[in-house]
Amino acid sequence: MAVQPAMPRSWRRESKPHKFCPGCGHGIALKALGQAIDELGIQDRVVFGCDIGCSLLTWDFFNVDTVQTHHGRTTPVMTGIKRANPNLICIAYMGDGGGYAIGAQHLVNAAGRNEKITVILVNNTQYAMTGGQMAPTTLPGQKTETTPYGRDVELTGFPTQGPEMVAAITPEGAYVARGTVSKIRQLQKMYVRALLNQIEGRGFSFVETLATCPTNWRTNAEKTWAFLEKQMPEYFRVGELKVPLTTEGAEEA
Amino acid sequence: MAGVPVPGDKRVFMTGNEVVAYAAVAARADIMYGYPITPQNEVMHYWTRLAPKYEKRFLQTEDELSAGFTTIGGVMAGRKAFTATAGPGNVLMQEPMAMAEMMRLPVVVVIMQRGGPSTATVIYSQQEVILTTFGGNGEGFRIVYSTATHQELYDYTIKAFNTAWRYRFPVFLLADGYQAKMREPLTIYDPLERGIELIAPEAYLGRPGTPGVDRPPGHFRNTYSTEEELYEVLQGHVREYERIWREVEEYESLGTEDTDLLIIAHGVVARAAKQAVEYLRGEGLKVGYFRPVTLRPMPVDALREAVSRTKRFMVVESAYGQLSKLVRDALYGLAVEMVPLYKPGVGVTPEEIMARSRELIVKGES
Amino acid sequence: MKDIRIVEAYVGEYASGKSEVAINRALELARTGRPVTLVDLDLVEPCYTLRPLKKELEEQGINVLAWETRDAVGLGETGNILRAEVPWALRRPGHVVFDVGYGVGGARTLDLVEGIDQEPLFRILAVVNTSRPMTMTVENVVDYVRNLGPVHGLINNTHLGDETTADIVQQGAQTVAEAGRRLGIPVVATTAVAEVAAVIGPVDCENNPVRVLKRYMPRAFW
Repeated sequence: MAVQPAMPRSWRRESKPHKFCPGCGHGIALKALGQAIDELGIQDRVVFGCDIGCSLLTWDFFNVDTVQTHHGRTTPVMTGIKRANPNLICIAYMGDGGGYAIGAQHLVNAAGRNEKITVILVNNTQYAMTGGQMAPTTLPGQKTETTPYGRDVELTGFPTQGPEMVAAITPEGAYVARGTVSKIRQLQKMYVRALLNQIEGRGFSFVETLATCPTNWRTNAEKTWAFLEKQMPEYFRVGELKVPLTTEGAEEA
Repeated sequence: MAGVPVPGDKRVFMTGNEVVAYAAVAARADIMYGYPITPQNEVMHYWTRLAPKYEKRFLQTEDELSAGFTTIGGVMAGRKAFTATAGPGNVLMQEPMAMAEMMRLPVVVVIMQRGGPSTATVIYSQQEVILTTFGGNGEGFRIVYSTATHQELYDYTIKAFNTAWRYRFPVFLLADGYQAKMREPLTIYDPLERGIELIAPEAYLGRPGTPGVDRPPGHFRNTYSTEEELYEVLQGHVREYERIWREVEEYESLGTEDTDLLIIAHGVVARAAKQAVEYLRGEGLKVGYFRPVTLRPMPVDALREAVSRTKRFMVVESAYGQLSKLVRDALYGLAVEMVPLYKPGVGVTPEEIMARSRELIVKGES
Repeated sequence: MKDIRIVEAYVGEYASGKSEVAINRALELARTGRPVTLVDLDLVEPCYTLRPLKKELEEQGINVLAWETRDAVGLGETGNILRAEVPWALRRPGHVVFDVGYGVGGARTLDLVEGIDQEPLFRILAVVNTSRPMTMTVENVVDYVRNLGPVHGLINNTHLGDETTADIVQQGAQTVAEAGRRLGIPVVATTAVAEVAAVIGPVDCENNPVRVLKRYMPRAFW
C-alpha cells in the first residue's frame, strides 16, 4: 500500500498534484502555510491573494477564498479587502519580482502604514515563469537570461535586502522574518507568528521565503540544495528581524 | 449615524467634486480609496469630512494603481467601493480597471478630466474619452456616463453604484475639471426617500462557512492558459454586454426630426451646444442637438436615427476628435458629411458654436 | 478715521463666496481714495480663484497679489504656492484685504503674513452661505466657525447662484444671526446682488446692513 503524503487540511485535494516543477520551493512553502492555517484554525476567515509569476499557480491551491491579481498588485488588493472587512485574514503571496520590483511601491507603503495583512514573498533569485531573467534578488555573478555573463553588481546593483528594508520602515507592531524551505518547521513557525500578528491586530507581517528553482537554475538535487543552503544565505540571512515585544516566545527583536 | 447628511429634498449651492462626495454618501457607498490629483481632490476632501459621521471609511493609497486595486479589494469584500482620479492618474487606473473588466467587478470610478497628454493642465479637457471608454488591454466592457450638470453628477453618482452592482461591469462617471470646480445650484436628496432602490452589494470573498467543507471556495482569476479558454470567457462577456446595451444606453436630444445641421456633443460642452441650438432654432434655423449620456455603450440606434435625418452634423468637443471617433464608429455606412469643431483642452462657448453653425447653414460653407 | 487703515481677512467654507465678498470689499474701499491691496491667500488651489480676474480688477484701481496667467506657466499642479510678495503684503500702504482659501488650516493660514498680529484694526470675517450643505443649520455654522480659529465677525452670503431670492437670503440671515448669538460673534453684513438687495432693503430681517455685491467670479469660470 502506497504511503499517502500528509496534506494540510486547508489544501484543496481536487487541485493536487499541484502544477509546480519538480523540486520547486513553492510546494514546501505552501505546505508550511497550509499547516499554519490548520494550526490556527482560520480556514474560514482566510483570503489568499496570489500574484503573477509562478505564484499564480496557487489560484486554486487552497480550500480558502482566493483571488489572483496582477503582477505586483496583490498587496493593494489584499489591503483593500482588509480595509473593507477587517474580520478577514488576508495573505498576499508573491515572488521577488512582484514584491521588490514591479510592486515595490505597494510593499513599501503597505509596510509603512502597518497594514494588518500578511505578505509572503518567495525569493528564488530570478523571474521563473518568464524563463529565468534577473530579479532584484539575483546573486552577484549569477547567470540569468538577461545577465548571460553573470550579474554585474556595478551595472545592476546587489541583491535587494527585502526583510531588512521592511524591518527598517515598519512601525512597532510589525513582524518581519526571513525563512527558508530548507527549514520547514522554522518556516511554519514564522508563518504562524506572522498570521497571529495580523489576527491580533498588531501590524504588518512579512516573511521572505528562500526557495529553490532547479528548472531555471539548471541544477540537480544536490546542487539545488547547495545553492539554497550555502550560496543564498551569503546574501540573505535567515531568522526573525522584527518581532513585536508582546509576541510570546520572542527570540530576537 | 447612518443615512444622508441632509434629510429631504434640498436646493443647495455646491461645487461638482463636493456633489460627488455627498452623492456617494447618499448612495450608501462604504469606502473610498484615493490618491491626490487635481482637479478631483475635493471628492476626497469632502468624503473624508463626511465619512466618520456616517461610519464610512477612506484609505489614501500610494498611487492610482493602488487606488484602483484596493477598490477592487473593497468590492470583492462585498462593499460599495469607489475611487476618483484624473489625467495621468486615469492612465494608471486603466491597469486595475482591466482586471475589473475581466473579472466583472462592480467598481465605480469618478474621472475629472484635465488637460493632456502628460501632465498638461490641471484644469479641464475632454481628452480622456478614448482612455475611459476603451482603456486597458481589453475590449471596453465598461459603462461610462458623461455628465453635464451638477444635478447629473448627483443623480449619476447614485446611479453608477446601482449600474455597477446590477450588471457587474466597472462603471465610470466621466466629468471634467470645470464640472469639478464649478459651482451651481442643485437638489440633493435621499434616494431611499424618493423610492429609488439601492442595489445591495454582495461579497465575493469571505462569505459564511468554511470553504471546501460548508461551501466551495471562491477561486477568482484573470489568467487563462489557452486562447480557446479565453475566447470562451470573452464570448460570455460579449453576450452579456450586448444584452444589457440597450438597457444601459442613454442620450438626450432636441429637434432632431429634420435638420440642416445636427450638433453632437457630450459632457459640459453639451450644455453650450444645447444652448446654441435652442437659440438658433429661435432664429428659425433647422438645427438639432444630440448628446450621448453613455459614451459606452454608445446609443447607436438613436444616434443613427438622428444623423439619418440631417444634411450634415458637427461634432463639438474639447478634444481632437475623441468623441468623433466613437460617433463615426457608430455611424458606419451612413453617408452624411461631418464637420469637426475640436478645441483640445479648452472650453467651448455657445457663441462659438452658433457662429460656426451660421457659417455652415446660412453661408453654406464647409 | 482717514489715517486708520483697514485690514480684513475673509475666511470660510469652500465655495462660500469668500473671493466674491473680498473683491467687492476691496473695490468699495478703493472708492475712499486710498490704495487697496487684495491678496489671494488661497493655498489649496491658487490658480482657480483670482488669477483670471487679476487684470480686470487692477484696471479698477486695486492692487491684486495673485498669480497672473503668464506667471503661472509651468506651475503644474499649482498646490500650496505662496507668492513671494504675499507674506509682506502689510508693508504696502493703504487698506489690505485677504481672500483666504479653504482648507483645514482655516484662519491659521494668516500666520504666514508678517506683522498681522500688530495691526490694530485687523479683523477676520467668516463668510457663510447657508445653501452649502456643510453650513446649512445653526449647529453646522457654529461648529464650522469654531473650527476656523479666531473670527471677529460673520457675513451672511447666502445665495443659490442665479436662483437666489430675497427669501433665501433672509432665511440665511436668520440662521447666521442665531449662530452669531451662540458664538458671541457679531454679524457684520448680509450680502446680495443688486436686484435681490433692492427687494430686501438697506437692512436684513435681523437688522444687519446689506452690502450690494457685484458678481465677478462667474467670469473666472468657477
